[in-house]
Amino acid sequence: MLRMLGITKSYGAVRANRGIDLVVPPRTILGLLGENGSGKTTLMNVLFGLVSPDAGTIVFNDHPLAGHTPREALAAGIGMIHQHFMLVPAMTVTENVMLGWDAAGRWLRPAAVAERIRAASHTYGLDLEPDARVGALPLGGQQRVEIVKAILRGAELLILDEPTSSLSPPEVSGLLHVLRRLRDEGRSVIFISHKLGEVLDVCDEVVVLRDGAVAGRTRASDTDRAKLARMMVDRDVSAPVAREGGAAGAERLVVADLAANDATGVERLGGVSFSVRSGEVLAVAGVDGNGQAELVDVIAGLRRPTRGHVFVDGADVTGRGVTGRRQAGLAHVPADRHTTGLVADMTVTENLAFRDCDGPPFRRGPWLDFGAMRAAASERIARFAIRVGGPDVPARTLSGGNQQKLVLARELTRHPRVLVAAQPTRGLDPGATRFVIDEVLALRASGGAVLYVSTELEEALIVADRIAVMYRGRFAGVVRRDAVDITRLGLMMSGALTESPDAAALYGRKAP
Amino acid sequence: MTVGAPASRPRVELAAVRALAPPLLAVLLAFAVTGVLIVAAGKNPVLAYWSLAHGAFGSWDRIAVGLNRATPYALTGVGIALCFRARVINIGGEGQLALGGLAATWVALHMVPAPRPVATLFALGGGVLAGAAWAGLAAGIRLKRGVHEVLATLLLNFVGLLIVSEALQGDLGEPGAGFPQSPLLPNASWLGRLVAGTDLHVGVLIALAAVAVAHVALWRTPFGFRLRILGASAPAAAYAGISPARALVSVMLLSGGLAGLAGAIEVLGVHYRLIDGFAHGFGFNAVAIALLGGLNPLAVLPAGLFFGFLETGAVAMQRAVGVPTPLVAVIQGLTMVFVLSAMGLTAGRRRV
Repeated sequence: MLRMLGITKSYGAVRANRGIDLVVPPRTILGLLGENGSGKTTLMNVLFGLVSPDAGTIVFNDHPLAGHTPREALAAGIGMIHQHFMLVPAMTVTENVMLGWDAAGRWLRPAAVAERIRAASHTYGLDLEPDARVGALPLGGQQRVEIVKAILRGAELLILDEPTSSLSPPEVSGLLHVLRRLRDEGRSVIFISHKLGEVLDVCDEVVVLRDGAVAGRTRASDTDRAKLARMMVDRDVSAPVAREGGAAGAERLVVADLAANDATGVERLGGVSFSVRSGEVLAVAGVDGNGQAELVDVIAGLRRPTRGHVFVDGADVTGRGVTGRRQAGLAHVPADRHTTGLVADMTVTENLAFRDCDGPPFRRGPWLDFGAMRAAASERIARFAIRVGGPDVPARTLSGGNQQKLVLARELTRHPRVLVAAQPTRGLDPGATRFVIDEVLALRASGGAVLYVSTELEEALIVADRIAVMYRGRFAGVVRRDAVDITRLGLMMSGALTESPDAAALYGRKAP
Repeated sequence: MTVGAPASRPRVELAAVRALAPPLLAVLLAFAVTGVLIVAAGKNPVLAYWSLAHGAFGSWDRIAVGLNRATPYALTGVGIALCFRARVINIGGEGQLALGGLAATWVALHMVPAPRPVATLFALGGGVLAGAAWAGLAAGIRLKRGVHEVLATLLLNFVGLLIVSEALQGDLGEPGAGFPQSPLLPNASWLGRLVAGTDLHVGVLIALAAVAVAHVALWRTPFGFRLRILGASAPAAAYAGISPARALVSVMLLSGGLAGLAGAIEVLGVHYRLIDGFAHGFGFNAVAIALLGGLNPLAVLPAGLFFGFLETGAVAMQRAVGVPTPLVAVIQGLTMVFVLSAMGLTAGRRRV
């Protein structure tokens, strides 16, 4: 169905694609795997006509595609579903489908389009109500709107870029089911993902990219996680991290009956209490949107609680601002590194200093000490192996993994007593993920207390001494590392099980 | 990713060229298009521009007038540039400048007799405080009542200008003058002359100093760093512990103070009295100048000089060729359009 041969694309000195061949047969789900920066995005942008390749040919359904625009790619039958949805939340499903669709005709016929949506929804198991407002749909539903948009526009090949990264486990299985239905109805799918389990689960074939070239292609039935992971990174990714049992020390972060509302006044955090001890990692697992973001924001001082208290090292910091909490020893790795954790247009030097410019060493009298800032930046670039042109380039030019290293470098070289990390590995490749986890564990080993919020259960299991599961703004349960039972955690995440944890689980063991 | 640049050229030079090229090109384009308009009006554009240049630079006197004219532009423009850097859209320069002039006049007329530098300093100080207070009022309305500062500063302009008119109709007016203006201020409060025999006053140096201070404050102090973070990303600013309210108030006070200072200098250095409508056009042109200077304090200086000399030259152009002065406003307007278009094209390359 699709035949891409010898695709080559360079950005300056960086060769993003080096002669990639990609063949997608009809009725196939093809998994495209690769670390960040391996060339997946470039390849798909070439296919969709967003960038033109330096060399190579594309043949789609026996028609050559060259120098095409995204509009022509769409017309040829290629649909792309981006990680961030291109939908208007205030409009209905039908209106979103009609939006920018030439074939909708000169006059809008919502009823006819709604009928087609209903039919497609039935055929592919999309479970969409045409009159529903898109903003009211869960993320999985919005994704299905994107899928129905692509299908009605005649897409025979759908490209899904990291489609499961923001979905809850039941939504993921729903999506995988839809993908199988699409295949069974004669369409093909390119499934771009980091998650080996999902790829193995749903794909027929797998192509692995590494450093802009094909590192391997295989039938999904002939391979396993370890083989794929090795192809991706060309080294053994040993899963469990070696760690000491660790004697947890004194309570460093104590949270007492903390509650908070969102901007519209709806309660998102319904009174949680726990503590994290020195030399301990408490992971907060759960499906995204169950109050984790509010918990982190309230602890970090970015949001006012409606009740409850936060203590850092015994000091009540509830009334303090961000700066006061930082001075008390609280470090924060925010979930959104693009607009919160970093200022993309500022230099690496400025980004490494911007949370610390109100005191020494970066402030001397009324002045900013740029010499000290640059020296500290060079030192941290070396210490954290940040791949960057120099301390004076804008942070925006860094890859996702290196941007996160920048955030970690700033937060960890302050030697914090408490670290609150929100989704610190989201969107990172396995190598960078490993780096983040190693740094978190190093802080733990040196006596720091870490609150680690992650929607990836596997990751929570790697880092945590205790795992708390959040559901609808409360802890559905807290489990110690040695007593972990995946099924139980899964039930808690889905809200099917709520345990009232005992004091030992909530507050950790007393130091011996 | 430099496009079409020879690799051998030094980096710094290239960056400077790239920063300067858009405004210069925009100015040239504006002159070219206006030239077409002059032709359409049946006049000779070469002659018109020659007389414009002659009027602006033809003698030391003319240059002094141009520099005086550029002074309030640079002062107000630099304050507005700092505001815009922090995404605080202060377009109230006109009212702040007007009240600065009013306060300087009031102080000069009412204070006990004092020797020259003291009287002048007090009058200037009055102008700074009044301008800052007027901007602070807008900031307060923004913070307490949630009215966006664009609206608050814009509307307070009208109030400020009318307060000046009202004062000139009343106590502050010169009896029997036939025009709303104050009596001549006592000589002791006048700004000193910088070059004897010309109109050039000390205010030019004050403007230079203000530009230098603003440059250092923006790029070399934690205060300026905070403004730049706030302007670049509001969530990042919150994460850095920056209070948007405090930043709003401080940058508004600063910018209002500079505008008030500009008004005071205009009164004490040029007119020696308060004249109704003296602030007209300064506030909005200062916004244009701040943008023309790419919100960089140092670059606001040439932008202010450009506007200042353009306007002094315009009078001569009208006299010599009969091209109406409003055409200069056309040049200013077109320059702005072209500069902003060029900025749009190069968006993302700007240094924050």
